[in-house]
Amino acid sequence: MKTVSKILIAGALVAGVGALIAADHLDAPAVGGTTADITDYFAFESAENGDNTVFVANVQSSLAPAGNDATFDENVLIEFNIDNTGDLVEDRVIQAIARDGRMYFFGPYAPATTGLNSTIDASQMIGSVAITTDGNAITETTEGGIKMFAGPREDPFFFDFGTFNAVIGGDAENNGPNGGFQTAENAVDTFDGTNVLSIVVELPNALIGPTVAHPAGFDVQVWNTWVEAKRQQ
Amino acid sequence: MKLQNIKYLVVGAVLAGFVSCNDDDDLFIPAPEEQMEIEELNFEGTFAQEDQMGRAAINTVLNGDSATKNSFNLTIPSEMVANFQQGFLDRAVALHAAFGVEYENNVLGLDATTLTTVLAADVLQVAPDAPTTYIDGDGNVLTGRSLTDDVVDVSLILLFGGTNGDRFNGQDLDNDGVADLPILVTDNVPNTGENPSTTFPYLEGPH
Repeated sequence: MKTVSKILIAGALVAGVGALIAADHLDAPAVGGTTADITDYFAFESAENGDNTVFVANVQSSLAPAGNDATFDENVLIEFNIDNTGDLVEDRVIQAIARDGRMYFFGPYAPATTGLNSTIDASQMIGSVAITTDGNAITETTEGGIKMFAGPREDPFFFDFGTFNAVIGGDAENNGPNGGFQTAENAVDTFDGTNVLSIVVELPNALIGPTVAHPAGFDVQVWNTWVEAKRQQ
Repeated sequence: MKLQNIKYLVVGAVLAGFVSCNDDDDLFIPAPEEQMEIEELNFEGTFAQEDQMGRAAINTVLNGDSATKNSFNLTIPSEMVANFQQGFLDRAVALHAAFGVEYENNVLGLDATTLTTVLAADVLQVAPDAPTTYIDGDGNVLTGRSLTDDVVDVSLILLFGGTNGDRFNGQDLDNDGVADLPILVTDNVPNTGENPSTTFPYLEGPH
Protein backbone atom coordinates (compact mmCIF):
# COMPACT_ATOMS: atom_id res chain seq x y z
CA MET A 1 0.00 0.00 0.00
CA LYS A 2 2.80 2.40 0.86
CA THR A 3 4.38 1.88 -2.53
CA VAL A 4 1.11 2.49 -4.29
CA SER A 5 0.44 5.76 -2.51
CA LYS A 6 3.99 6.95 -3.16
CA ILE A 7 3.55 6.28 -6.85
CA LEU A 8 0.24 8.10 -6.81
CA ILE A 9 1.78 11.10 -5.06
CA ALA A 10 4.71 11.15 -7.46
CA GLY A 11 2.30 10.98 -10.37
CA ALA A 12 0.31 13.90 -9.01
CA LEU A 13 3.50 15.94 -8.61
CA VAL A 14 4.60 15.18 -12.14
CA ALA A 15 1.16 16.15 -13.43
CA GLY A 16 1.38 19.37 -11.45
CA VAL A 17 4.77 20.31 -12.90
CA GLY A 18 3.60 19.40 -16.37
CA ALA A 19 0.68 21.76 -16.04
CA LEU A 20 2.94 24.77 -15.39
CA ILE A 21 3.32 26.01 -18.93
CA ALA A 22 2.56 29.61 -19.86
CA ALA A 23 3.74 32.64 -21.81
CA ASP A 24 6.59 30.43 -22.83
CA HIS A 25 7.26 29.19 -19.31
CA LEU A 26 7.92 25.45 -19.55
CA ASP A 27 6.12 25.60 -22.87
CA ALA A 28 7.10 22.16 -24.09
CA PRO A 29 8.18 18.99 -22.30
CA ALA A 30 11.60 18.73 -23.95
CA VAL A 31 12.81 22.10 -22.68
CA GLY A 32 10.50 22.88 -19.74
CA GLY A 33 12.35 23.17 -16.46
CA THR A 34 15.80 23.09 -18.07
CA THR A 35 18.40 25.86 -18.07
CA ALA A 36 17.49 26.58 -21.70
CA ASP A 37 13.81 27.25 -20.96
CA ILE A 38 12.83 30.69 -22.22
CA THR A 39 9.97 31.91 -20.03
CA ASP A 40 9.27 35.21 -21.71
CA TYR A 41 10.38 37.71 -24.30
CA PHE A 42 9.79 41.46 -24.44
CA ALA A 43 10.92 44.16 -26.87
CA PHE A 44 9.91 47.76 -26.35
CA GLU A 45 10.85 51.40 -26.79
CA SER A 46 13.23 52.61 -24.09
CA ALA A 47 11.67 54.82 -21.43
CA GLU A 48 15.05 56.51 -21.01
CA ASN A 49 15.71 57.23 -24.69
CA GLY A 50 13.09 57.07 -27.43
CA ASP A 51 15.79 56.30 -30.01
CA ASN A 52 16.66 53.07 -28.21
CA THR A 53 14.96 49.66 -28.15
CA VAL A 54 15.10 47.27 -25.18
CA PHE A 55 15.24 43.49 -25.58
CA VAL A 56 14.44 41.25 -22.60
CA ALA A 57 14.85 37.47 -22.45
CA ASN A 58 13.68 35.74 -19.29
CA VAL A 59 14.73 32.17 -18.58
CA GLN A 60 14.24 29.59 -15.85
CA SER A 61 11.07 30.43 -13.94
CA SER A 62 11.40 30.01 -10.18
CA LEU A 63 8.29 27.84 -10.48
CA ALA A 64 10.60 25.27 -12.06
CA PRO A 65 12.54 22.74 -9.96
CA ALA A 66 15.67 24.90 -9.53
CA GLY A 67 13.58 27.62 -7.89
CA ASN A 68 15.33 30.77 -6.69
CA ASP A 69 18.71 29.01 -6.67
CA ALA A 70 18.77 28.98 -10.48
CA THR A 71 21.88 30.35 -12.20
CA PHE A 72 22.75 31.05 -15.82
CA ASP A 73 24.12 27.97 -17.60
CA GLU A 74 27.47 28.71 -19.28
CA ASN A 75 26.56 26.17 -21.97
CA VAL A 76 23.40 28.02 -23.02
CA LEU A 77 23.59 30.85 -25.54
CA ILE A 78 20.73 33.36 -25.56
CA GLU A 79 20.29 34.85 -29.01
CA PHE A 80 18.04 37.75 -30.02
CA ASN A 81 17.23 37.49 -33.73
CA ILE A 82 16.39 40.45 -35.97
CA ASP A 83 14.93 40.15 -39.47
CA ASN A 84 15.45 43.38 -41.43
CA THR A 85 14.05 42.17 -44.76
CA GLY A 86 10.73 40.44 -44.00
CA ASP A 87 11.72 36.89 -44.92
CA LEU A 88 11.65 35.67 -41.29
CA VAL A 89 15.36 34.80 -41.49
CA GLU A 90 17.68 36.57 -39.06
CA ASP A 91 19.88 39.28 -40.59
CA ARG A 92 21.44 40.32 -37.29
CA VAL A 93 21.84 38.64 -33.93
CA ILE A 94 22.60 39.88 -30.44
CA GLN A 95 24.12 37.09 -28.38
CA ALA A 96 24.63 36.71 -24.63
CA ILE A 97 26.41 33.98 -22.69
CA ALA A 98 27.68 33.68 -19.12
CA ARG A 99 31.31 33.10 -18.16
CA ASP A 100 32.50 33.00 -14.55
CA GLY A 101 30.01 35.43 -13.03
CA ARG A 102 29.79 37.81 -15.98
CA MET A 103 27.41 37.98 -18.94
CA TYR A 104 29.16 38.66 -22.27
CA PHE A 105 27.35 40.36 -25.16
CA PHE A 106 28.06 40.19 -28.91
CA GLY A 107 26.59 42.17 -31.81
CA PRO A 108 24.35 43.13 -33.35
CA TYR A 109 26.09 41.43 -36.26
CA ALA A 110 25.25 39.32 -39.30
CA PRO A 111 25.76 35.68 -38.26
CA ALA A 112 27.93 33.39 -40.36
CA THR A 113 25.03 30.94 -40.60
CA THR A 114 21.31 31.30 -39.85
CA GLY A 115 18.93 28.77 -38.39
CA LEU A 116 19.03 26.15 -35.66
CA ASN A 117 22.78 26.12 -35.07
CA SER A 118 24.87 29.13 -34.06
CA THR A 119 28.45 30.05 -33.39
CA ILE A 120 29.82 33.07 -31.58
CA ASP A 121 32.11 35.46 -33.42
CA ALA A 122 34.23 36.54 -30.47
CA SER A 123 35.50 39.55 -32.40
CA GLN A 124 31.96 40.95 -32.18
CA MET A 125 32.06 41.21 -28.38
CA ILE A 126 30.71 44.58 -27.25
CA GLY A 127 31.24 44.16 -23.52
CA SER A 128 30.17 42.36 -20.40
CA VAL A 129 28.42 42.97 -17.11
CA ALA A 130 28.80 41.30 -13.73
CA ILE A 131 25.78 39.05 -13.12
CA THR A 132 23.57 40.60 -10.48
CA THR A 133 22.78 38.31 -7.56
CA ASP A 134 20.25 40.32 -5.53
CA GLY A 135 17.94 43.31 -5.74
CA ASN A 136 20.75 45.75 -6.50
CA ALA A 137 20.97 45.74 -10.29
CA ILE A 138 24.49 45.96 -11.72
CA THR A 139 24.48 47.53 -15.20
CA GLU A 140 27.11 48.51 -17.75
CA THR A 141 26.98 50.87 -20.73
CA THR A 142 29.37 50.51 -23.66
CA GLU A 143 31.00 53.46 -25.42
CA GLY A 144 28.50 52.84 -28.24
CA GLY A 145 25.59 53.41 -25.87
CA ILE A 146 24.54 49.79 -25.40
CA LYS A 147 23.27 48.96 -21.90
CA MET A 148 23.58 45.49 -20.41
CA PHE A 149 22.09 43.63 -17.43
CA ALA A 150 21.84 40.00 -16.30
CA GLY A 151 20.41 38.59 -13.10
CA PRO A 152 17.29 37.62 -11.14
CA ARG A 153 14.19 39.79 -11.48
CA GLU A 154 10.54 39.55 -10.53
CA ASP A 155 8.61 37.62 -13.18
CA PRO A 156 6.63 40.31 -15.01
CA PHE A 157 4.20 37.80 -16.51
CA PHE A 158 0.67 37.79 -15.08
CA PHE A 159 -1.81 35.04 -15.89
CA ASP A 160 -4.28 32.73 -14.19
CA PHE A 161 -2.60 29.70 -15.60
CA GLY A 162 -4.30 27.21 -13.31
CA THR A 163 -7.70 28.21 -14.63
CA PHE A 164 -6.41 28.23 -18.21
CA ASN A 165 -5.45 24.58 -17.86
CA ALA A 166 -8.88 23.83 -16.38
CA VAL A 167 -10.61 25.61 -19.28
CA ILE A 168 -8.55 23.76 -21.88
CA GLY A 169 -8.93 20.47 -20.03
CA GLY A 170 -12.66 20.81 -19.43
CA ASP A 171 -11.99 20.51 -15.69
CA ALA A 172 -15.35 21.60 -14.29
CA GLU A 173 -14.10 21.61 -10.69
CA ASN A 174 -11.44 24.22 -11.38
CA ASN A 175 -12.65 26.30 -14.29
CA GLY A 176 -14.96 29.28 -13.98
CA PRO A 177 -18.69 29.70 -14.66
CA ASN A 178 -19.91 27.92 -17.80
CA GLY A 179 -16.47 26.41 -18.35
CA GLY A 180 -14.62 29.70 -18.90
CA PHE A 181 -12.18 31.78 -16.87
CA GLN A 182 -12.86 32.88 -13.31
CA THR A 183 -14.65 36.08 -12.39
CA ALA A 184 -12.34 38.87 -11.21
CA GLU A 185 -12.78 38.07 -7.52
CA ASN A 186 -11.72 34.44 -8.02
CA ALA A 187 -8.91 34.89 -10.56
CA VAL A 188 -5.37 34.09 -9.38
CA ASP A 189 -2.04 35.32 -10.82
CA THR A 190 -0.06 32.07 -10.99
CA PHE A 191 3.21 34.03 -11.38
CA ASP A 192 2.72 36.37 -8.44
CA GLY A 193 5.73 36.20 -6.12
CA THR A 194 7.96 34.29 -8.53
CA ASN A 195 11.28 35.19 -10.14
CA VAL A 196 13.08 34.64 -13.41
CA LEU A 197 16.64 35.12 -14.65
CA SER A 198 16.66 38.14 -16.97
CA ILE A 199 18.99 39.28 -19.71
CA VAL A 200 18.29 42.88 -20.70
CA VAL A 201 20.06 44.76 -23.48
CA GLU A 202 19.18 48.25 -24.71
CA LEU A 203 20.65 49.65 -27.88
CA PRO A 204 20.30 52.52 -30.36
CA ASN A 205 17.82 51.76 -33.15
CA ALA A 206 20.46 52.66 -35.74
CA LEU A 207 22.40 49.53 -34.75
CA ILE A 208 19.36 47.30 -35.34
CA GLY A 209 19.06 48.26 -38.98
CA PRO A 210 16.37 48.63 -41.65
CA THR A 211 12.66 47.98 -41.12
CA VAL A 212 9.94 46.41 -43.28
CA ALA A 213 6.18 46.91 -43.60
CA HIS A 214 4.22 45.14 -40.85
CA PRO A 215 3.47 41.61 -42.16
CA ALA A 216 -0.07 41.67 -40.72
CA GLY A 217 -0.88 44.65 -42.93
CA PHE A 218 -0.85 47.38 -40.30
CA ASP A 219 0.49 50.73 -41.45
CA VAL A 220 3.78 50.74 -39.56
CA GLN A 221 7.41 49.82 -40.18
CA VAL A 222 8.84 47.02 -38.06
CA TRP A 223 11.58 44.53 -37.45
CA ASN A 224 10.60 40.88 -37.03
CA THR A 225 12.29 39.68 -33.84
CA TRP A 226 12.46 36.55 -31.70
CA VAL A 227 14.67 34.93 -29.09
CA GLU A 228 16.32 31.51 -29.02
CA ALA A 229 18.10 29.44 -26.39
CA LYS A 230 20.87 27.29 -27.84
CA ARG A 231 22.98 24.70 -26.04
CA GLN A 232 26.70 24.03 -26.59
CA GLN A 233 27.18 20.75 -28.42
CA MET B 1 42.75 27.19 -32.88
CA LYS B 2 44.17 29.20 -30.01
CA LEU B 3 44.11 32.49 -31.88
CA GLN B 4 40.35 32.43 -31.88
CA ASN B 5 40.30 32.46 -28.11
CA ILE B 6 39.85 35.82 -26.55
CA LYS B 7 42.59 36.56 -24.09
CA TYR B 8 40.91 38.77 -21.59
CA LEU B 9 43.08 40.98 -19.47
CA VAL B 10 41.41 41.11 -16.07
CA VAL B 11 44.29 43.19 -14.70
CA GLY B 12 44.20 45.60 -17.63
CA ALA B 13 42.67 48.43 -15.67
CA VAL B 14 45.16 47.92 -12.86
CA LEU B 15 48.08 48.01 -15.27
CA ALA B 16 46.76 51.16 -16.95
CA GLY B 17 46.54 52.77 -13.55
CA PHE B 18 50.15 51.90 -12.73
CA VAL B 19 51.44 53.21 -16.05
CA SER B 20 49.71 56.54 -15.71
CA CYS B 21 50.82 56.95 -12.09
CA ASN B 22 54.40 56.15 -12.87
CA ASP B 23 55.04 58.61 -15.63
CA ASP B 24 58.48 59.44 -14.24
CA ASP B 25 59.43 55.90 -13.55
CA ASP B 26 60.83 52.89 -15.30
CA LEU B 27 58.75 50.56 -17.43
CA PHE B 28 56.26 48.82 -15.16
CA ILE B 29 56.60 45.07 -15.08
CA PRO B 30 53.70 43.13 -13.56
CA ALA B 31 54.49 40.74 -10.76
CA PRO B 32 54.18 37.04 -11.62
CA GLU B 33 51.03 36.57 -9.55
CA GLU B 34 49.31 39.37 -11.49
CA GLN B 35 50.22 37.73 -14.78
CA MET B 36 48.50 34.61 -13.52
CA GLU B 37 45.23 36.52 -13.33
CA ILE B 38 45.09 36.80 -17.10
CA GLU B 39 42.07 34.74 -17.91
CA GLU B 40 41.26 32.98 -21.11
CA LEU B 41 37.65 32.96 -22.25
CA ASN B 42 36.51 30.44 -24.78
CA PHE B 43 33.44 31.10 -26.93
CA GLU B 44 34.14 28.39 -29.50
CA GLY B 45 31.81 25.63 -30.54
CA THR B 46 28.36 25.10 -31.98
CA PHE B 47 25.19 25.95 -30.12
CA ALA B 48 22.03 24.05 -31.10
CA GLN B 49 18.52 25.39 -30.60
CA GLU B 50 16.38 24.10 -27.73
CA ASP B 51 13.77 26.84 -27.24
CA GLN B 52 12.32 29.67 -29.31
CA MET B 53 9.82 32.44 -28.60
CA GLY B 54 8.29 35.39 -30.38
CA ARG B 55 4.85 36.13 -28.97
CA ALA B 56 3.60 35.07 -25.58
CA ALA B 57 1.58 31.89 -25.09
CA ILE B 58 1.46 30.88 -28.76
CA ASN B 59 3.10 27.49 -28.39
CA THR B 60 1.22 26.84 -25.15
CA VAL B 61 -2.25 27.63 -26.45
CA LEU B 62 -2.26 26.79 -30.14
CA ASN B 63 -0.15 23.65 -30.29
CA GLY B 64 -2.14 20.77 -28.88
CA ASP B 65 0.09 17.86 -27.97
CA SER B 66 3.57 17.56 -26.47
CA ALA B 67 5.29 16.34 -29.63
CA THR B 68 3.95 19.31 -31.58
CA LYS B 69 5.03 21.75 -28.84
CA ASN B 70 8.55 20.28 -28.87
CA SER B 71 8.70 20.38 -32.65
CA PHE B 72 7.56 24.02 -32.74
CA ASN B 73 10.54 25.07 -30.59
CA LEU B 74 12.91 23.48 -33.10
CA THR B 75 11.41 25.10 -36.19
CA ILE B 76 12.85 28.26 -37.71
CA PRO B 77 10.28 31.07 -38.14
CA SER B 78 10.44 31.03 -41.95
CA GLU B 79 9.14 27.43 -41.89
CA MET B 80 6.52 27.82 -39.16
CA VAL B 81 3.50 28.82 -41.25
CA ALA B 82 3.95 25.91 -43.64
CA ASN B 83 4.26 23.43 -40.80
CA PHE B 84 1.91 24.74 -38.11
CA GLN B 85 -0.79 27.04 -39.53
CA GLN B 86 -3.20 24.21 -40.29
CA GLY B 87 -2.75 22.81 -36.79
CA PHE B 88 -3.38 26.25 -35.28
CA LEU B 89 -6.56 26.57 -37.34
CA ASP B 90 -7.77 23.11 -36.31
CA ARG B 91 -7.03 23.96 -32.70
CA ALA B 92 -8.91 27.27 -32.91
CA VAL B 93 -11.90 25.47 -34.43
CA ALA B 94 -11.76 22.77 -31.75
CA LEU B 95 -11.57 25.30 -28.91
CA HIS B 96 -14.70 26.97 -30.24
CA ALA B 97 -16.45 23.64 -30.84
CA ALA B 98 -15.91 22.79 -27.17
CA PHE B 99 -18.28 25.66 -26.41
CA GLY B 100 -20.67 24.76 -29.23
CA VAL B 101 -19.84 27.73 -31.46
CA GLU B 102 -17.78 28.69 -34.49
CA TYR B 103 -15.04 31.30 -34.79
CA GLU B 104 -16.24 34.80 -35.65
CA ASN B 105 -14.01 37.36 -37.40
CA ASN B 106 -12.19 39.30 -34.69
CA VAL B 107 -11.79 42.99 -33.78
CA LEU B 108 -9.07 43.33 -36.40
CA GLY B 109 -11.40 41.90 -39.03
CA LEU B 110 -9.24 38.80 -39.39
CA ASP B 111 -10.86 35.52 -40.35
CA ALA B 112 -9.63 32.31 -38.74
CA THR B 113 -7.25 31.41 -41.56
CA THR B 114 -5.65 34.88 -41.61
CA LEU B 115 -5.37 35.05 -37.81
CA THR B 116 -3.73 31.64 -37.52
CA THR B 117 -1.39 32.50 -40.39
CA VAL B 118 -0.27 35.66 -38.58
CA LEU B 119 0.16 33.79 -35.30
CA ALA B 120 1.89 30.73 -36.76
CA ALA B 121 4.97 32.80 -37.61
CA ASP B 122 5.99 33.13 -33.98
CA VAL B 123 7.95 36.37 -34.12
CA LEU B 124 7.41 39.68 -32.37
CA GLN B 125 7.12 42.71 -34.61
CA VAL B 126 8.84 45.75 -33.12
CA ALA B 127 8.20 49.26 -34.48
CA PRO B 128 11.01 51.71 -33.69
CA ASP B 129 8.91 54.76 -34.57
CA ALA B 130 5.58 53.91 -32.94
CA PRO B 131 4.45 53.40 -29.33
CA THR B 132 5.11 49.87 -28.07
CA THR B 133 1.93 47.87 -27.55
CA TYR B 134 0.07 44.70 -28.38
CA ILE B 135 -3.04 46.82 -28.97
CA ASP B 136 -3.54 50.23 -27.39
CA GLY B 137 -6.91 51.28 -28.79
CA ASP B 138 -5.28 54.22 -30.57
CA GLY B 139 -4.63 52.35 -33.78
CA ASN B 140 -1.31 50.83 -32.75
CA VAL B 141 -1.34 47.04 -33.12
CA LEU B 142 1.43 44.51 -32.53
CA THR B 143 4.29 47.02 -32.39
CA GLY B 144 6.23 45.16 -29.71
CA ARG B 145 5.58 44.02 -26.17
CA SER B 146 5.99 46.18 -23.10
CA LEU B 147 6.39 44.81 -19.57
CA THR B 148 2.77 45.61 -18.72
CA ASP B 149 0.99 44.68 -21.95
CA ASP B 150 -1.83 42.24 -21.11
CA VAL B 151 -0.81 39.82 -23.82
CA VAL B 152 -3.06 37.08 -22.44
CA ASP B 153 -6.20 39.17 -22.71
CA VAL B 154 -5.28 40.50 -26.15
CA SER B 155 -4.62 36.98 -27.40
CA LEU B 156 -7.91 35.75 -25.96
CA ILE B 157 -9.81 38.68 -27.49
CA LEU B 158 -8.28 38.01 -30.90
CA LEU B 159 -9.20 34.34 -30.64
CA PHE B 160 -12.59 34.38 -28.89
CA GLY B 161 -13.71 38.01 -28.88
CA GLY B 162 -15.43 38.10 -32.24
CA THR B 163 -16.13 41.32 -34.11
CA ASN B 164 -16.72 43.39 -30.97
CA GLY B 165 -14.02 41.78 -28.83
CA ASP B 166 -16.44 40.83 -26.04
CA ARG B 167 -18.22 37.87 -27.55
CA PHE B 168 -17.68 35.64 -24.50
CA ASN B 169 -17.44 37.76 -21.38
CA GLY B 170 -19.80 36.05 -18.96
CA GLN B 171 -22.93 37.73 -20.32
CA ASP B 172 -26.26 37.22 -18.56
CA LEU B 173 -28.49 36.77 -21.59
CA ASP B 174 -31.84 36.27 -19.84
CA ASN B 175 -31.31 38.81 -17.08
CA ASP B 176 -31.77 36.30 -14.29
CA GLY B 177 -28.63 37.45 -12.50
CA VAL B 178 -26.63 34.38 -13.54
CA ALA B 179 -24.04 34.38 -16.32
CA ASP B 180 -25.05 32.32 -19.32
CA LEU B 181 -21.87 32.61 -21.38
CA PRO B 182 -18.35 31.64 -20.25
CA ILE B 183 -15.60 34.23 -19.78
CA LEU B 184 -13.13 33.60 -22.61
CA VAL B 185 -11.86 37.09 -23.49
CA THR B 186 -9.95 37.72 -20.24
CA ASP B 187 -8.34 35.70 -17.48
CA ASN B 188 -9.34 38.54 -15.15
CA VAL B 189 -5.76 39.02 -13.93
CA PRO B 190 -4.89 42.72 -14.48
CA ASN B 191 -1.41 44.19 -14.77
CA THR B 192 -1.87 46.24 -11.60
CA GLY B 193 0.55 44.03 -9.68
CA GLU B 194 3.39 44.82 -12.07
CA ASN B 195 5.41 47.96 -11.41
CA PRO B 196 8.35 48.17 -13.79
CA SER B 197 10.88 50.98 -13.37
CA THR B 198 11.33 53.83 -15.83
CA THR B 199 15.09 53.27 -15.79
CA PHE B 200 17.29 50.46 -17.08
CA PRO B 201 16.95 47.47 -16.59
CA TYR B 202 13.24 48.27 -16.04
CA LEU B 203 12.16 44.91 -14.57
CA GLU B 204 11.36 44.86 -10.85
CA GLY B 205 13.88 43.43 -8.41
CA PRO B 206 13.49 39.79 -7.38
CA HIS B 207 11.37 38.54 -4.50
